[in-house]
Amino acid sequence: MNAATPDAVQDFLREYVAKYLRGQGREVPADLSDDCDLLLSGYVDSLGLLELMTAIQDHFGREIDFDELDAEQMTIVGPLKRFVAEKLARP
Amino acid sequence: MQRALWSGFLRSSEKFADRSALFAEGKFLKYSELRAGACRVAATIQAHVDPSETTLTAVFTYRSPTAFIGVLGSLLAGNGYVPLNRTFPIERTQVMLERSGCRSIIVDEGSLPQLNKLLETTSAPLLVLAPDALDLTSYKQQWPQHTFLADHELKPAERWREPAFELDSIAYLLFTSGSTGIPKGVAVAQRNVTAFLDYMVERYEITETDRLSQMFDMTFDLSVFDMFVAWERGACLFCPSQKTLIKPGKFIKDSELTIWFSVPSTAVFMKQLGMLKPAQYPSLRLSLFCGEPLPVSSATAWLEAAPNSILENLYGPTELTIACTRYRWDPVCSLAESEFGIVPIGYPYPNMGVLVVDDNLLEVSPGHEGELLMNGPQMSLGYWKDPAKTAAAFLAPPGKSEIYYRTGDRVRRPLGNAPLTHLGRIDSQVKIFGHRVELGEVESKVRDACGYDGVVAVGWPKTDSGFGGVEVFIEGRESALEKLRSAVAKDLPEYMVPRRFHFMDRLPRNANNKYDRKAMQKLLEEGL
Repeated sequence: MNAATPDAVQDFLREYVAKYLRGQGREVPADLSDDCDLLLSGYVDSLGLLELMTAIQDHFGREIDFDELDAEQMTIVGPLKRFVAEKLARP
Repeated sequence: MQRALWSGFLRSSEKFADRSALFAEGKFLKYSELRAGACRVAATIQAHVDPSETTLTAVFTYRSPTAFIGVLGSLLAGNGYVPLNRTFPIERTQVMLERSGCRSIIVDEGSLPQLNKLLETTSAPLLVLAPDALDLTSYKQQWPQHTFLADHELKPAERWREPAFELDSIAYLLFTSGSTGIPKGVAVAQRNVTAFLDYMVERYEITETDRLSQMFDMTFDLSVFDMFVAWERGACLFCPSQKTLIKPGKFIKDSELTIWFSVPSTAVFMKQLGMLKPAQYPSLRLSLFCGEPLPVSSATAWLEAAPNSILENLYGPTELTIACTRYRWDPVCSLAESEFGIVPIGYPYPNMGVLVVDDNLLEVSPGHEGELLMNGPQMSLGYWKDPAKTAAAFLAPPGKSEIYYRTGDRVRRPLGNAPLTHLGRIDSQVKIFGHRVELGEVESKVRDACGYDGVVAVGWPKTDSGFGGVEVFIEGRESALEKLRSAVAKDLPEYMVPRRFHFMDRLPRNANNKYDRKAMQKLLEEGL
């Protein structure tokens, strides 16, 4: 199991987005800021977000109930990484 | 009887004027309101554009009320619509607009920021309708060759006159990814769409109390089902925002949907994210899937979550208008009828002809595999301004006088009354050391062994006679490789056993979210 600090989640998100953009032959951003909206930036599409959530669960080895996170928040890097880290910190 | 595609909507707008036709961007639009908006757009196009110049209008929108007003407005002006998508790369949209030759375009508020960029490559004068905008002065100054009309500059709805309907009038021109990398436009006639709709509304007994999902973007032709099946019978269409799309379960519940239609991938991910718990979606009476192979495991999980729903798997290329075969899941016999863990595509729609042929386009005998050819009232007009590509794909096989469309899909010609089963794409069959290998078979074994649904097999490396072997891409987390390899090897001849497994968080996909085998081949060429 991977340690799940907000920074670790951020690293995972950055790698994930980079792989996705490279697969499409698009430019990869150097970093993702906390207020970056993954959906509105075109870094993932809506189906891609469902895939991203599955990938987060696989990577950190835990099921996460994303239903508790507001839809407006769950595509934004800052709230998303804090939510995931908080969920994973609980036993 | 031939009728215009807009006739069903007009009838519903009179009969159900005060019922809701659409929910988008958080608000309901009544049939009377949707009609009024569409008639203003149509009247404006009729007043400004000479119909002899073009028969197409572009709709540059995304999931807004104006998107739907634009589609109906184009049709009511007597034009076909060309959907453009602001979530696509702008270069792709530029090519689509220029190739279509549209002289008018409808733009919604969210797409306006991309308008300047889009106009950079537009050669002919364009009529730009922006019903969400109040002031377009800056555009008018920057682009004097084009005409810009904001909300208050549109003609009143009363000025609209119903246009003449011609037999081959284009309903929509839809661009699909071409093998050369340049999108090709499929021209679909109104008579193709009405033939499809007549069957769908009867088969599914659509009424004004139905509530349909609009999961598909308008650049995906399955969206035509959502809109026009709903409006044909006075039902309401629920269009989720880009943000709501990521919570499909909440969307079904909040909207109390009765009819669901999506790609199977959505069901696959809902299952993985725990959104398919038993009896979660009792409001659904009909669930439809189309666009890619539907795994049996997804279908059964869906039915547990939607216990009051029937489930049908649809199949159809854009060239045959939305969908042209259907298969209803039956708990008694469907498991036995499925091949490689994939739900059959079933039976052709009435009046659609089926031919299963070999490499020489000669019909194979029952029980054998071949390429699926189809024709009938849903066979589209062909590729926009591309007679060579049209002639290559729409042809009369030897000994036949009728034209058929070559789908490029491999199916088994049914024995007796068995359903058609989809075995993969023609181009997913490769030769490895002279053996014919169906990549779908390798994918199915790997899928079973690793438990992930997203599996794509690719022939690699290239040799003069085909390929030297198979490599497999898996969407998921790397797991015990040796165990996986031996589990797969147990069931496959050696030349079919994948030489390498590549695990990725997300497999490359094309614009319609289908796995992009060519992109994966490219990764291998680049030395993955």
